[in-house]
Amino acid sequence: MTRSAFSPEGVTFGVCLVALGVLGTLANLGKLELLPLLRTYWPLSLVLWGVLELADLTIRRSSSGRS
Amino acid sequence: MIRRLLHSSLVMVSALAVIPVITAAQAPTRVPPQPARADVTSAAGTALPIATRAERASHARPVDRIFGGYGRIPLHFEPNRGQAPAEAEFVSRGTGYSIYLTASGHEFPFAFMIPFVYLFNIIDAWKGANAANARFLGGRAEAEEQPEVESPVWGGSLVLLGVLILLSNLGWLDIDRLARWWPVLLIAVGGYFVYNSLEARKASGGSAE
Repeated sequence: MTRSAFSPEGVTFGVCLVALGVLGTLANLGKLELLPLLRTYWPLSLVLWGVLELADLTIRRSSSGRS
Repeated sequence: MIRRLLHSSLVMVSALAVIPVITAAQAPTRVPPQPARADVTSAAGTALPIATRAERASHARPVDRIFGGYGRIPLHFEPNRGQAPAEAEFVSRGTGYSIYLTASGHEFPFAFMIPFVYLFNIIDAWKGANAANARFLGGRAEAEEQPEVESPVWGGSLVLLGVLILLSNLGWLDIDRLARWWPVLLIAVGGYFVYNSLEARKASGGSAE
């Protein structure tokens, strides 16, 4: 079975953790309000996950088509 | 596979363990300790114990003690006049805990992450199981015919769901009006299964016909 090198959900999880860390730091520094921001924009993580799944699928299809 | 399942289980268990830790960390420490045993003062000025019911209950089974105390726990809310974080409007304080009522509900930032961790683990375990099945089938054609996710439906659904919720959050879409159309999802999922079956039959040369 061909499996691409990265797992979309793993990348999404990592990116979300990094984003949460950055936003948390900025919130602690008083630059932004963390909770309203998260409450509004958390679906972007779903969008990112979906886009990565689609990209992964495209890469797998193209690599299996080449072989 | 075992390592993958172990990894998923570890993440799941750590997520479960994080909940009480975070809850405890969020509990304020300004709550003054209250006596475990309440006393009242009699007319003569001597302290009379009133915990006799509790003492009797201490000989009962733990379950009976728990349910016996249900509904007798004092719980009252007081307006927040600076004794709690600013976002709390009302506060209920007890021994070792506090409950805040805010204008928009319970504020808990990590609640955003916990469902994501659970979802991630479910998907990860499912994918790991699929990969293991394919490996155990050992290069048979069926293993190649059942890849992990060989359809754009999963990724497309995630994007669609994310966009819909985001538009709703931004106030550009009333998601409640869409809710009445939920049976369309059943039609779509059913149609997808039918389409997959027909494609599989076509790929196998229509031998079942």
